Amino acid sequence: MANLKSLKAKKFLSMLSYRQGRFDEAKAELPNFGDNAMALAKALHPKRQYLKIAEVVERSEDCRSYTLVPDPDRGTDALAYFGAGKYLTVFETIEDMPITRAYSISSSPKESLEGKYVLTIKLVDGGLMSKYIFDTWTVGREVEVSAPSGNFEYQPLRDAKKVLCLAGGSGITPFISMANAIADGDEDFELTLLYGSRDAKNILFKEELDELADKCDKIKVVHILSNQKGRCPKGMEKGFITAELIKKYAPADEAYSVFLCGPQQMYQFVDKELEKLDLEKKYIRHEMFGEFHNPATQADYPQSVPETVKITVTIQDNTYVVEGNSGDSVMQTLEKNGISVPARCRSGECGFCHSHLLSGKVYVPKALEYRRLADYKFGCIHPCCSFPLTDLEINVPVAK
Amino acid sequence: MKQYDVIVIGAGNGGLAAAATCAREGLSTLLLERHNIPGGSASSFVRGRFEFEPSLHELAGVGAPDEVGTIEDMFNRFEGDVDWHRHDSTFRLVVPAKEGDTDTFINEDGVEVTVDARMPVGFHNFAKKLEELVPGSYDSCMAAFDLSTRMFKAFDNLENPSKLVGSVKDLPDIMRMVSHTMNEGLDALGMPKKAQDIFNTYWCYLGSPGSQLDFLYYLAMVHSYIKNGTGIPHLRSHEMSLAIDDVIRRNGGDIWYNSEVTKVIMKDGKPAAVVINGEKTVYGKYFICNSSPNAVWADLFDEKDIPAKQLKMLNSRKVACSLTTVYLGMNKTKEELGIKDYSVFIAPDSDSDKQYEAAQDFFSGFCIINCLNEIIPDCTPEGTSQLFLTTMTFGDVMKDVKPQDYKKFKTKVAKDMIETCEKALNISITPYIEEIEIALPPTFARYLNTPFGTPYGYMLEKWDSMIPRTVQYIQDQPFSNFFFCGASQERGDGYGCAYYTGEKAGGIVVKKVKEGK
Repeated sequence: MANLKSLKAKKFLSMLSYRQGRFDEAKAELPNFGDNAMALAKALHPKRQYLKIAEVVERSEDCRSYTLVPDPDRGTDALAYFGAGKYLTVFETIEDMPITRAYSISSSPKESLEGKYVLTIKLVDGGLMSKYIFDTWTVGREVEVSAPSGNFEYQPLRDAKKVLCLAGGSGITPFISMANAIADGDEDFELTLLYGSRDAKNILFKEELDELADKCDKIKVVHILSNQKGRCPKGMEKGFITAELIKKYAPADEAYSVFLCGPQQMYQFVDKELEKLDLEKKYIRHEMFGEFHNPATQADYPQSVPETVKITVTIQDNTYVVEGNSGDSVMQTLEKNGISVPARCRSGECGFCHSHLLSGKVYVPKALEYRRLADYKFGCIHPCCSFPLTDLEINVPVAK
Repeated sequence: MKQYDVIVIGAGNGGLAAAATCAREGLSTLLLERHNIPGGSASSFVRGRFEFEPSLHELAGVGAPDEVGTIEDMFNRFEGDVDWHRHDSTFRLVVPAKEGDTDTFINEDGVEVTVDARMPVGFHNFAKKLEELVPGSYDSCMAAFDLSTRMFKAFDNLENPSKLVGSVKDLPDIMRMVSHTMNEGLDALGMPKKAQDIFNTYWCYLGSPGSQLDFLYYLAMVHSYIKNGTGIPHLRSHEMSLAIDDVIRRNGGDIWYNSEVTKVIMKDGKPAAVVINGEKTVYGKYFICNSSPNAVWADLFDEKDIPAKQLKMLNSRKVACSLTTVYLGMNKTKEELGIKDYSVFIAPDSDSDKQYEAAQDFFSGFCIINCLNEIIPDCTPEGTSQLFLTTMTFGDVMKDVKPQDYKKFKTKVAKDMIETCEKALNISITPYIEEIEIALPPTFARYLNTPFGTPYGYMLEKWDSMIPRTVQYIQDQPFSNFFFCGASQERGDGYGCAYYTGEKAGGIVVKKVKEGK
């Protein structure tokens, strides 16, 4: 330890006064340094976006596109930029009932810089939100949405350069955005769209897709018609998205990714077809299919679940007791009782509604199981995809 | 009108420990967190069939089975339920050869390097390995560990005055360590430069290079990593954070998530209440704050209410480093990938100050690659593994990036980092990526609300290192009923450091409440 003595032990004392001196000398004002990391975080992930409807386009008898622009009067001057494939959560209140829905953005990222998002919404049979939107969303109407969210995006380090996009019905929306992003040079991959529609008359975005395929050689579009009467128009296919059809349009001798977006029934069918192709898991990616209904139809749903359940919910320092149907998710039941809860994807995946289950049991469909491992250990649930099996006591964060 | 004994702002590691400390002592406690889950950096996220660890590398506070580490001790006292995995190696440092390097060799992976040091646990083993790599370094290395051992003993004895006499002879050396930097200290012990470089590998865990960080703090950190090895929780850091959440609830504390403090209300010159999400006011006697002081003073207070010293502190300190992390879910096992270590530090230069200089720009070739399966074999499904790659930066490295360029920028940085690891370890990663998430400084800024997204607080500089901060802790606090905790305080970055500051702030408040002040 001989040489340690060469160090000065008392220097520390002068360090304290030096430190005090450094503080004394400094300016007594809020620092103002450039911090583009924080600026980017705020620009890309605003807490809310306050928008107005600028245009409504009728795409078919049950499908409309709504153009949304910033509403500076309510504090939104510019739209958050996004990667093609992301969704917006729309916040509405229907007869005192707070409700949210996630819709993929169908416009291109580039258009968001020009101050424009487009949401393309299909009128769902018995759908509460879509009906409400069709009834009330007219030009000038104020709309409140989240920041662009979700993970359904092309990622060049992960995905193959060639992507087969399988769409059903209004599941076309994220792919319209991706195709436009390719045409704009904002994304770089080859997109082959296999788009399932009822018949040639019911194809959404038909002209826009034709135009995109014409002007950009990285984009190919194949329409697949399930209920086409008579002969299939040239270049289109009849039937469903089968393994055979996928193989026909997939590159023969190189890796390709498959992206799927459509209704639950389409996934059930196409997933079985994909199994036949024996693709690596990394090459298959699904967009969430939205809210889950009728848990009792699932094979692993338990027996003799009571029809109605009591839910005691604490949010901050308020406690409410409500009754609900065991066929509704915890989130739906709370909303139906006028209680606003945090909600984004409503499909289990984003975890935004993460809550504490204090007592009782819930059923979570396997396909929507995205909880963290420690959540099981400490009794945490995602109310958007948890269905009560007994009376419940839960602690839910305040809606945001 | 309800008045809490204590309101804790922010449920990061510091805030969690503070709230648990107060709730366990019977104080009416409210913990407020703007996100929907606890932990701040100590969390996890799910992509596909992978659950990723967002920030934790290793905990020195979880040691050997026969010796309870500081973090383990806190969870034991709290009765917080965490399953630990222990890990009995330290780090591997690989410095790939650059053009013009003369002192190079081909390592076991077939890569031309200037340094390849895989260091074992245990003082003697570590020193022996160092001697093997740099002849003539054993004695100085053991001297360093002797010094740190005596220092820890002296600190323990501080709490037991009858034993303190035995440590008095060590006090001058401890003062020397406090007064000098890591480089000066190791020079004084006669450690060869190349051995110092290996010894200094962990500098980035504290974010200050050898010419800045004080010898005492660095040596204390290295000591605690080398002595007993390290540990990590079985279910990612989210398990630790939920365990403390559970402790707080069991002890009657309230936790409100999605509840961001947007304003602090003053009364008689000190904080009296907070406004949550701009709408709800809650009153408290004491406040413990786990948020970044930069955000607190800029966003929560009227400028006239901010003590001048707090603003002066903001203007005289340097914001510490920010991070970029690439999380990879791999569709191959670690064996198939050829990964042999939990933690490899890949550096463009072995010298910590040169690494620091390089980190002033975006990706500089410095990258830590971790493979969680090395410690928790079943942390991913069969046939898969997870990796995370970390690099650090200082300052506004994002300054020229526009929102529309961000995604491409992110991908480019991730690609550079992945390729650096592939080259340095002579392995192939890219073809096997099943899931990828890339967190850049804006990601950390979004989740942590700190300048440049730093998780590290303020740089531990020569004049503002751990001991001066500790000595001055009370004088550095803004009000008699408002105490900061977390990475911005005495000990800088680290889970154990944040827990320590939280428990300490909690302890101060408990004492004050019980004394009825």
